[in-house]
Amino acid sequence: MTAFVEYLMTGIARGLVFALLAMGFVFIYRVTRVVNFAQGAFAVFGGFITYSLLRAGVPQGVSELLAILAAALIGLIFGIITIAGDLPLLASLIITIGLSILSEAILMLIWGTTPITYSGLTGHDFVILGAFIQRQYLIVVLASLALFALVALAFGRTYFGKAMTACASNPYAAKLSGINVKRMGLVAFMLGGALGGAAGVLITPLSPMTYDADVSLAITGFAAAIVGGLTSPGLAVIGGLVFGLAEQFVAGYWSPSNETAVALALLIILLLWQARRMRLEGLE
Amino acid sequence: MTERMRSVVVGTTVVIIGLITLAIPLVLSSSNLEIYVDIGLFTIVVSGLSLLMGFAGQVSLGQAAFYGIGAYTAAIMAVHKWPSLVALIAAPIVTAAIAFLIGIPLLRLKGHALAFGTLAVQLILLAIIPETPSFTGGSIGLSAIPPLRIGPLAISSGKDYAYLVWIVAVAVLIITRNLTRSRPGRGLRAMATTPSGASATGVQVESYKLRDFALSAAYAGIAGGIYVFFIGYISPDAFPVMLSIEFVIMVVVGGIGTISGAFVGAAVITIISQILTSLGTSPSLPPQLPTVLSLGVYAVILIAILRLIPSGIVGALSELWKKTQRTPSAVSSRSSEERQEVASAVDGAGRTDSVLTGELQSRDATMVKETSTGQQ
Amino acid sequence: MKLLESVEQPTPNGSIPSDALLATYNLVVRYGAAVALDGVSMYVGKGEMVALIGPNGAGKSTLLNTLSGINRPAAGKIICNGKLAHVPEGRQLFPELTVEDNLRLGAYRGGSRDPSPMYELFPQLHRLRHRRAGGLSGGEQQMVAIGRALMAHPDIVAVDELSQGLAPIVVSDIANHLVSLNKQNGTAVLLVEQNAQLALDITSRAYVLENGRISKEGRSADLARDPAVHKAYLGGQVSR
Repeated sequence: MTAFVEYLMTGIARGLVFALLAMGFVFIYRVTRVVNFAQGAFAVFGGFITYSLLRAGVPQGVSELLAILAAALIGLIFGIITIAGDLPLLASLIITIGLSILSEAILMLIWGTTPITYSGLTGHDFVILGAFIQRQYLIVVLASLALFALVALAFGRTYFGKAMTACASNPYAAKLSGINVKRMGLVAFMLGGALGGAAGVLITPLSPMTYDADVSLAITGFAAAIVGGLTSPGLAVIGGLVFGLAEQFVAGYWSPSNETAVALALLIILLLWQARRMRLEGLE
Repeated sequence: MTERMRSVVVGTTVVIIGLITLAIPLVLSSSNLEIYVDIGLFTIVVSGLSLLMGFAGQVSLGQAAFYGIGAYTAAIMAVHKWPSLVALIAAPIVTAAIAFLIGIPLLRLKGHALAFGTLAVQLILLAIIPETPSFTGGSIGLSAIPPLRIGPLAISSGKDYAYLVWIVAVAVLIITRNLTRSRPGRGLRAMATTPSGASATGVQVESYKLRDFALSAAYAGIAGGIYVFFIGYISPDAFPVMLSIEFVIMVVVGGIGTISGAFVGAAVITIISQILTSLGTSPSLPPQLPTVLSLGVYAVILIAILRLIPSGIVGALSELWKKTQRTPSAVSSRSSEERQEVASAVDGAGRTDSVLTGELQSRDATMVKETSTGQQ
Repeated sequence: MKLLESVEQPTPNGSIPSDALLATYNLVVRYGAAVALDGVSMYVGKGEMVALIGPNGAGKSTLLNTLSGINRPAAGKIICNGKLAHVPEGRQLFPELTVEDNLRLGAYRGGSRDPSPMYELFPQLHRLRHRRAGGLSGGEQQMVAIGRALMAHPDIVAVDELSQGLAPIVVSDIANHLVSLNKQNGTAVLLVEQNAQLALDITSRAYVLENGRISKEGRSADLARDPAVHKAYLGGQVSR
């Protein structure tokens, strides 16, 4: 029971982090139709930048916020490189692959190959049903829920958020209404960068970050996003939780070495399921 | 230039290039011969990937996995005393079958699911191999793979492999060329550029894409098979994710969907990678520099090509050639065909000419809508 | 004043008045090698209702998309002395947003975002305002589409295939709204239609677009009596 609660809490926390990454995929995809392969890089940058700011003596909360802002800026730059001008979608997708390896080169050049970590906000661990849970897990849960609420509010209540939804919903009509769809795409990239950065900031205290973690983070985020067909932020959160929990329970009750393989197999199963759904929709 | 004259010119060029290709192994040192074989192997892989990217509008990030599956198929069969030629022939068949199975669902999904799905396949493969030492040799790999024999002919020296690889490469290029030319009607090209209009013929499009994907895997499989006999040893280290990305870079550098681009891309990137390796091995430099350098150079090449010359080296050269040849007849007859080839090659999203002219075209369906109205 | 100018060409048609609200001169639009518009010159005067009729694929939607800046002309000139709003073919609403949000987004370029004038124009929309636009009937969607365009406070509204997929009674209802809008506010209307009968009925002037060229132009009433037009567009087999 104790172990179960521990896996559950850890799984939820990590799942929410995956959900942040997945929502980045979703927002960028919805507006630009680009699947951003470099999504994981935002998280890696977020973690490493926080680490350096902390070492420079910047207070914890400020460091984390600055890292998220920096990730948003990186998102904007990546967005410009990916979609500015007029490129075919396939070219944009391949550019994001280039940006992913470029990020690895930059990260390795600045921070080297040693994994980094830092402690989250300090405080006592707490006990739920006999299981010791690190305080950071609670912070991850609260912070990501707050971010989800913020995003939902921004999209559901503000005029700008609705304009962004309009771009996703019908870019042609959005253009006719005077919305600059390209610029909205850049905003989506910034948002994706910020969400990815937040994911990195939150997860680095839980599991050390390496310069080349972006591919595995990207693929998990993508897997979570595919649950909602890349377009539903809500389902992406559920997808993130599924992956977070599956990963923890496999690692806990079976073997940590199977963790990746199971996650990937789960991705394939999800893709099959989505394809079947598309098939059925197509037959209607 | 008439069609006949053109085919004579093309034919002569092909013969000359063929003779040069055959002469090169005679003068190369053994390490350069290895690079020469690599370029041939990569040309085979890249022409398949280029077909997939150019005509199906899809990208695979698991092409190194297919290369690996081909290599392991051949190696395991050869180690288990199958005739080596049978093992080599089985390599592309097994690989294509696996690609076919995963392609059926993945090609139906939007959002370039194939890229992530194939990447997952590669990561799964890399995770499985170390866990199955009795079958695949695990992380250590399989060695003592018997040499390739074709009937009474033993393929053993580097030169033999150079000839074998290039014979296969030329065969593959010819198959690919015929395939892209002999499509029933212009259906597929049109389809590749108008995804929204695909519902009426959706099944047909899907089957074409599937065929391209399986074929691209088969190419990777046979290249992997030849590779393993050439090296005589196999381990999972030979098929990193980075190799898959390198294949994509080769396609882009040569020119997506162009036949000769496969060779150009493979050659350019293989040579660049050799230069980077030799630069990085200078003892005075920090240990991670070679990796930083190669990642950085690849990233910059990839992004710069797509941004500046999206039709790749071959595409750019042929455009340049067309500009110098700008007689009215050439423009009307020949260029439109090639233009369409390049355009449909790069585009999977409904914007045919944007690549070449940089015109303001949107990512939405305005143009598609207009043309489809016209065809009603 | 919006001025898109590629190639300076002499005006071929002296009949375009200099104070026209919207005018195109020798407009050429290409999709790759295909020519969609081949030297189109037309205009809409202040407060005027003009029809653009022609068969499927003649380039009607291309013309509107070019006027809206979606397509870029290869040659020719567009002059617009006012604000143009475009009601696209097939309504093109934002299906997952509410009616009210759809309307409000019409004012994205600026001006009041208050949708209540649209509820006065189309009273039905008021009770539907919190419904998702994707769930409305075709006629209601067309009203939202027109309302969204009008939210931009345009001087001219271009409506593409008003009647498409709608029952005749719904079409005439919406058409009446357009006419009264034109009378009351002086908003000019460019009506692009395959349903030539409707278009020629409610407009004062009309153009016939065929194969990317204006093949006929004149007063709507005259064109409706023109034997060729009658045969092609008003005869026994009116398209759709």
